[in-house]
Amino acid sequence: MISAYYFGSIALIMIGLYTVLVKKNLLKILVGLSIMETGVNLLLISIGYISGRSAPILSEGVGPNQAVDPIPQALVLTAIVIGVATTAMALSVAILLYKKYGTLNIEEIRRLRG
Amino acid sequence: MNGQYAALLIAIPLISAFFVPLIKKAGRKAILSYVIAVTVAQIAVAAWVFKRVYTTGKPIIVMAGGWKPPVGINLYIGYFAALFVLIVAIASFLMAVFNLRAMKTEPLDKYAMLFLLLMLGATGMIATGDIFNLFVFMEITSITAYALVAYNKTGEAAEASMKYMILGGIGSSFFLIGIALIYGATGTLNMAQLAQFAGLVNSTVVQAALALLIFGLAVEAELFPLNAWAPDAYQASPHPITAMFAAFVVKAGLYAMVRVLFLFQASSGWSGIMKLLVIMATLTVVFGEFSALRQRDVKRMVAYSSISQIGLAAFGFALVGKAGASTGVASLAVSAAVFHMVNHAIVKLLLFLAVGYVAIALGGTKLEHFKGLGRRMPVTAFSITIAAFAVVGIPMFNVFWSKVKLLIAGVEAGYTWSVFLILGASVVEAVYYFRLVHTMWFSGEDVNEKISESVPIMAMMLALVAVIIYIGLYPNTVWHVVQKAGSDLLNVGSYVKHVPLINVGVRP
Repeated sequence: MISAYYFGSIALIMIGLYTVLVKKNLLKILVGLSIMETGVNLLLISIGYISGRSAPILSEGVGPNQAVDPIPQALVLTAIVIGVATTAMALSVAILLYKKYGTLNIEEIRRLRG
Repeated sequence: MNGQYAALLIAIPLISAFFVPLIKKAGRKAILSYVIAVTVAQIAVAAWVFKRVYTTGKPIIVMAGGWKPPVGINLYIGYFAALFVLIVAIASFLMAVFNLRAMKTEPLDKYAMLFLLLMLGATGMIATGDIFNLFVFMEITSITAYALVAYNKTGEAAEASMKYMILGGIGSSFFLIGIALIYGATGTLNMAQLAQFAGLVNSTVVQAALALLIFGLAVEAELFPLNAWAPDAYQASPHPITAMFAAFVVKAGLYAMVRVLFLFQASSGWSGIMKLLVIMATLTVVFGEFSALRQRDVKRMVAYSSISQIGLAAFGFALVGKAGASTGVASLAVSAAVFHMVNHAIVKLLLFLAVGYVAIALGGTKLEHFKGLGRRMPVTAFSITIAAFAVVGIPMFNVFWSKVKLLIAGVEAGYTWSVFLILGASVVEAVYYFRLVHTMWFSGEDVNEKISESVPIMAMMLALVAVIIYIGLYPNTVWHVVQKAGSDLLNVGSYVKHVPLINVGVRP
């Protein structure tokens, strides 16, 4: 049952990677990067998941033996924040690129080469 | 003094970066002097840490919040980290002084903030003892680097930043998948504990995870084929930032990669991964040198040369795979690679400083701008000449020693083919650097008007030249230091021993 989560997250990573490598539109590439990040986050979460246990919040009836592994969840929280920062940065640079080049097609954004 | 004060290495740049908006109104001079003051403080702490680590012979383990590892995150500042944290601080200081001349583009307060955060990120990557914390510092470094590359707000800068960002984004996702695999297999993220468990984990998992981690870090360490962003970013970013990239950002990436790889020495799939690294490193050297030959823009040419030099250092580290970690060849190779990293930091700091200064004074870095530079800006041209001789590996200059030691280690480890390729590439390197030197001194008879050079920049360049010649004449002083740093990287047993792990978690 848990392997379904693995397949799902790997599939998301692959979809993201495909988008990044194949698409020509910069915004689609950035969407691809976000999908990839989401896939990685899901993979991390599913590694810490133990079937039938609840969220790792200490409360009545939930001790260490009833909860899933909390560390991956902490990691994913951090990774999400970093992902948001990267996406925001990328989008602002994309705006700048569009202003300077008048296009978002990566085949036309090629002044630096050699 | 208590070793825990070494946490200031992280705290000083972090807190000062976020105080920059408060002095925003005080004007350009105040902001840039503030950055200089912060880097001086950072040098003071780094020098204290360096002295303490090298006199006591014990690494400083900083435990965040007093939690013992692996429950808490720890910093590990051993011989290697102490040396490189000092290099980061000194390089940042020199570039902070250079900022006064180089940086005219507003908003300077944002620039100052990003500058300090870049220094923080590289320091953190070098000092951390936790693999996820390494990821966080890597992202701090790379997000600030993306922003700094785009800082000039030209089309080229945005393009370079975007390329870097896409590759860096893929790289960091792969790095995170690697962390997920390692965490799934071992249940820990602490580097010392990972090294303890390395021999017990399924070797296929380790190989897959290490391959993913290499992929992620190779983007930062500029190894072929993931370094396509680097020349663009070097060319488009502000001049002080270019020098910082070459001097320590890429070194931090390479160090992180090597540290993570060496932790898994005990795993059976390890030497296969190291073979992959040898191939990547050799190709990086060859690709870098041949691409540099074609360049007409000097800054871009030096950027390619920088890539290939990093490949050479990576080659030294990768030799350990074949030789076996406990052999004499391995320790020679790793020490030589660390020596090369130190030398390269000094030389490329000088080169990018001088080339950046030429760009500010003459308005560009095309080869044409360097015509007759020997008559127009003699001190700058002299510094570039010395740096060029040093990079090529002429005896009496520092890089000669590290290159020779690396190649000897390569032959002894049995990678003669790589050594041949690297030697061939070095000839190419000599060709394009001598072309630059020739252009500076023996062409452009028509340009004669002299440009008065700024005193602080001349002082910095001459100081770096003096260091290059000093290490070239007396390599042994530095060699002893880098040997210790190399053994700190290589000897994982002592790494584990020094981290006070408490016994929690299950062995896999």
